[in-house]
Amino acid sequence: MVEEQAYVPTNEVLLDLQNVTKHFGGLAAVQDVNLQVRRGEIVSVIGPNGAGKTTVFNLITGIYRVSSGDIVLDGKSILGLTPDQVLRRGIARTFQNIRLFNNMTVLENILVGQHTQLNANILTSLFRTPGVRREEEEARKRATELLSFFGSELVSRQEEYVINLSYADRRRVEIARALAARPKLLLLDEPTAGMNEVETLEAVKYVRRLRDELGLTILLIEHKLAVTMGMSDRIYVLDYGRKIAEGLPEEVRRNEKVIAAYLGKPTASEQKAAGDAPYV
Amino acid sequence: MTLFVQLLIVGLSGGAIYALIALGYTMVYGIIELINFAHGDIFMIGTFITITILQAFNVTDDPTVNGTLIAAILVAFFASMILCAILGVVIERVAYRPLRNAPRLAPLISAIGVSLILEDIGKLWKGLSPISPPQIFGAGAVFYIGPISIQVVDIVVVVVSILLMVGLQWMVNSTRLGRAMRAVAQDREAAALMGVNVDFIISFTFLVGTGLAGAAGFIYLLKFPVTTFTIGFDLGLIAFTAAVLGGIGNLYGAMLGGLVIGLVQSLVNLIPDSNNPSSHGLGLPHGGGAWATAIIFAILILILVFRPSGLLGQQTPEKV
Amino acid sequence: MSAVTMNTNSTGPVSTTRSLLIKWVIALLVPVLVFNFVWQGDYLINNVILGFINPADALVDTGSLIQASIFILFFYLVVLAFAGYLVAADTGRRSMLEVWVDVLIFAVLPILLIVLVNDNLIIGLALCAILWPIYFYIRRRVPFFARSKALLSPKSVSLLSAEQKAAMVRRARLGGFAFGLSLAITWLVVDLVSYFAGALPTELLIVTAVRTVFLVVAGYFLGWVGGIVAVRLTLSANANSANGGDNSAQSGANGRRKRQLMMLASSRAREEAREVVPNDLPLRSAGARRFFLILLIAFVLFYPVLDPFLFGYGTAGRLAGYTDAGYYVILALGLNIVVGFAGLLDLGYVAFFAIGAYAWGIFGSTQFGRLTNIIIQPEVLSWLFWPMIIVTALIAALWGVILGAPTLRLRGDYLAIVTLGFGEIVPVVFLNLDKYTNGTNGIVGVRSPAFFGIQWTVINHVPYYYLILALIALVIFANVRLRDSRLGRAWIAIREDEIAAASSGVNLVRTKLFAFGTGAFFSGIAGAYFSAKLGNVSPDLFSFNDSVIYLAMVVIGGLGSIPGVIVGALAVYSINLFILNNLDSIASDPTSFLYGIDQFIIHYIPSFTFGNIRNLVFGIILVAIMIFRPEGLIPSARRKRELHQAPEEEAVELGSLDVTTTDPGFEAEVRIE
Repeated sequence: MVEEQAYVPTNEVLLDLQNVTKHFGGLAAVQDVNLQVRRGEIVSVIGPNGAGKTTVFNLITGIYRVSSGDIVLDGKSILGLTPDQVLRRGIARTFQNIRLFNNMTVLENILVGQHTQLNANILTSLFRTPGVRREEEEARKRATELLSFFGSELVSRQEEYVINLSYADRRRVEIARALAARPKLLLLDEPTAGMNEVETLEAVKYVRRLRDELGLTILLIEHKLAVTMGMSDRIYVLDYGRKIAEGLPEEVRRNEKVIAAYLGKPTASEQKAAGDAPYV
Repeated sequence: MTLFVQLLIVGLSGGAIYALIALGYTMVYGIIELINFAHGDIFMIGTFITITILQAFNVTDDPTVNGTLIAAILVAFFASMILCAILGVVIERVAYRPLRNAPRLAPLISAIGVSLILEDIGKLWKGLSPISPPQIFGAGAVFYIGPISIQVVDIVVVVVSILLMVGLQWMVNSTRLGRAMRAVAQDREAAALMGVNVDFIISFTFLVGTGLAGAAGFIYLLKFPVTTFTIGFDLGLIAFTAAVLGGIGNLYGAMLGGLVIGLVQSLVNLIPDSNNPSSHGLGLPHGGGAWATAIIFAILILILVFRPSGLLGQQTPEKV
Repeated sequence: MSAVTMNTNSTGPVSTTRSLLIKWVIALLVPVLVFNFVWQGDYLINNVILGFINPADALVDTGSLIQASIFILFFYLVVLAFAGYLVAADTGRRSMLEVWVDVLIFAVLPILLIVLVNDNLIIGLALCAILWPIYFYIRRRVPFFARSKALLSPKSVSLLSAEQKAAMVRRARLGGFAFGLSLAITWLVVDLVSYFAGALPTELLIVTAVRTVFLVVAGYFLGWVGGIVAVRLTLSANANSANGGDNSAQSGANGRRKRQLMMLASSRAREEAREVVPNDLPLRSAGARRFFLILLIAFVLFYPVLDPFLFGYGTAGRLAGYTDAGYYVILALGLNIVVGFAGLLDLGYVAFFAIGAYAWGIFGSTQFGRLTNIIIQPEVLSWLFWPMIIVTALIAALWGVILGAPTLRLRGDYLAIVTLGFGEIVPVVFLNLDKYTNGTNGIVGVRSPAFFGIQWTVINHVPYYYLILALIALVIFANVRLRDSRLGRAWIAIREDEIAAASSGVNLVRTKLFAFGTGAFFSGIAGAYFSAKLGNVSPDLFSFNDSVIYLAMVVIGGLGSIPGVIVGALAVYSINLFILNNLDSIASDPTSFLYGIDQFIIHYIPSFTFGNIRNLVFGIILVAIMIFRPEGLIPSARRKRELHQAPEEEAVELGSLDVTTTDPGFEAEVRIE
């Protein structure tokens, strides 16, 4: 099913990783990685396990410090910023192992996500000024709106504690929490991990909608090749911390280095099979 | 200068005792990530056991060296070690094992509870006032190197402690049990998958750690003339600080930390009393000795600020 | 699921209402009668009245008499309204016997135990605290009682039409009336009997008559009030439904709410279902809790005047104890912010308490003049206490931030050790900087506050009692506001997952420092109060042991739970400083049953006293609570969930695998090229 793309990617570079390197002791987890994401694009980073993909995310969001290189968002370097500062600059993320606040409700999780959007401080909170009351009221409404992006079912469960939700729902709440901060760029770390085919399809659809309807730029790490091929505008491939390929999905699919990295040297029929039946 | 060297030696022997106690803390923390608040009190029980046995053998101050004395010393030493070791295992089974999977605060509170229990047991056993062991090394047991007087007991303390630590090192590095202990400390699940009986190893770790505390209890009484039910807390806190200072979970760190703390505690006495007119305002009010605890903790805090995992500790970054 | 509806054309089938009336009248009557005639209630009332009639013979002064009578009046008004509420709020499904057993155990038993131990409130409650868990245990095992758990389910939540609500109010009025009538008659009978037996002064007969009429009339109107309270907690059916039957009641906001409840996991739904009436367990509903809270607050407020009547001689001593327990509550609430909300393990909380105490200690005494050569008249100093509470708290908060700063990068256990270190360093600093702090001797002559020209002393504890109550109320208020605010959520987020919190925009450094600062602020308040009341301050008052006690209060009470830590503070205080000491005085009395046991033990363990084993008992309690109930006595709802993952979650989540083939989206979604 080919949809009308409501949002066309631009050529303007939003995120630019320039020769980013990260050493842990003697080990280079990420080596000289160059990566650009243009506004409105959906870009995927793929590669075998341990290739350094999540490390790149952690470097972008400030959880790890870059050993050398630069990361530029919207023309300004974001090196050395703490994760919350990175969020305020406009990059939100989800985690591979879904990190929600387990002892909070869905609603509360999203309210925390709105932390940077709210202005209440300790004094105004103590006295519950009309401003704070209004702010909280609107924050709750906005949380409901964010949840409704995924359909009404999640909305009706917003008072539920998140540990009681299904895995796919928790993934959605985590994304809604990331959206709450009004980011420009959304980093999704394996958004379809652990999902079956039906759930994966759903996820692909809503990731596309995040770009198409909400105008977000998306950088995602994905393990399921078929998903990536069908969804991405461009793909980067990492292996052992280095970039080994980049380009359009069709190019990357046929790239020998990529195939070798994933599968070892393939037979002709395996090669053919790897190129077929992407998720649309 | 003379004073400095003598304080140095005193600090070494004090440090050796702290090191022995600190080893127990660090071993337990390394293996189950628990600060065993009760450890210091087990040390205290060790001192009480020692005194009881020495008194049972009718050992007096400055005794004659004969078979009875040797027997008394050996029995006291080994009994203290063994009984404290057993106590440690019992405590682990009763108060910590059920909380293996509870959130971090629970075993900590439980440990505090056990510490309180042991303190009162000590209070009930030997009373509220400090009690004195017979002084085996009398005041005359000194020898001289030039102007510097060295007490025999300090030498003994240091030597015995070193022997114990060497023994521990050998066990941890060269035996199968030691290897299993290191494995469980690094990755409990993987060790279990490799066939290590994790529960047994954890109990064994407690056994060794608290056994060392018991030995430290005996050694402590060789040097110091008094013990009371609260020394567990006082010394335990300092020993634990030593373990953290050196890098908790690291055996060498505990030894190093113990040494450093012992030296600091001894050498702060060199700081003059600023209230005393002869010091011309330098130093600290009431002299360095009064500030020893504060200084030790201040050093700890400084080190942790700049090296958050202690002197020899390793940063284990959280897997994101 | 059909809602249980009452026949809307009357007050309900007569038998149903009647059984409800019987159930609740007896359920409320028995405790009230026990309170009045077995304990001191009657004594209280009679003496208050006699005090008015013959002021010369009065036990207390007129002012106290007036206050006591206000309380008595208020008490009965609330109970009458409560009767109405209960009759209205009950669906009637739960059997009378279950309710009566519950009331017996939770209301009658405490009163009896208090009487048993010679009117000693704390020991009586302590005995209850031992017996109640046994009861809970039995209740869970015996199937008869186990049913009650199943009754609170979202299925039992019903939507009511206007007629049904009117019926509820009618029931409530009947309930209040019936209860008032029963109480009035019973009391009348007792009074008449004692009159004819010569034990009742004639003057009181007038009172009896007035009371009888009053109870009946007030019962009717207050029952109405109770009914209104109940109605406000119901879910309304759609206002447009003509006949108020169940079917048309599913639409509208409340229908949605009900469906929401259906979708929640069952344990959560049970929590919510409890808030709505009519209810199978109205005693546990939100409305009932409001009544209990009102009674508790009234009791606490009027306690100083009630104490001589209810507990006999020794009011001053008891008040002294309670005013001491009070600052423990504030400390527990402050530490709750650091440890409970933000999850920062602080083992040195006593440091901030000491800073607060010394701050007022230095300022509020001659020490200030000695240090700064600014002499303030002592009387003025006493006045300055009031603004200085804030200043002291701010000083403590500042130090909270300063001492918290080095800990920010440290992992949990290291943080604990560093805070422990500060807890050790601060008293040493106060000890040794004796030029400023007077060292071991401490500072004496710390001024106590003055209020409207009356200088408070160390002898009269009543003003302190109200002060600490006011402070506690403020601290509770602040805690609740903070917990539900942006900052409170940030704290809990940090506790749950620091990295996720930072990635969601929470500035870790600032938020943690705020936690330390706020926690220290409250301990500063407690510190100022402490040194002002004690009159002196010295370093040996503050030790690691105290930090342990504060932590134990928070953990035993329930981490992060505001009512929990309050109860925890009171419980720990009672155990630590009260009960065991009392046992000692009982044991030294040769006539008491403890004497023999005590002597027996001393024979083998010479250093035994009950006071000596305080830490032993405390330690055992700590270990036991960690093993058996780590979420604390009154856990916050979150915590209980975290620690006892309920296997009984019944709600079935529609996983995407359950998408059925009739769902119109199915074909479109699953098509693959």
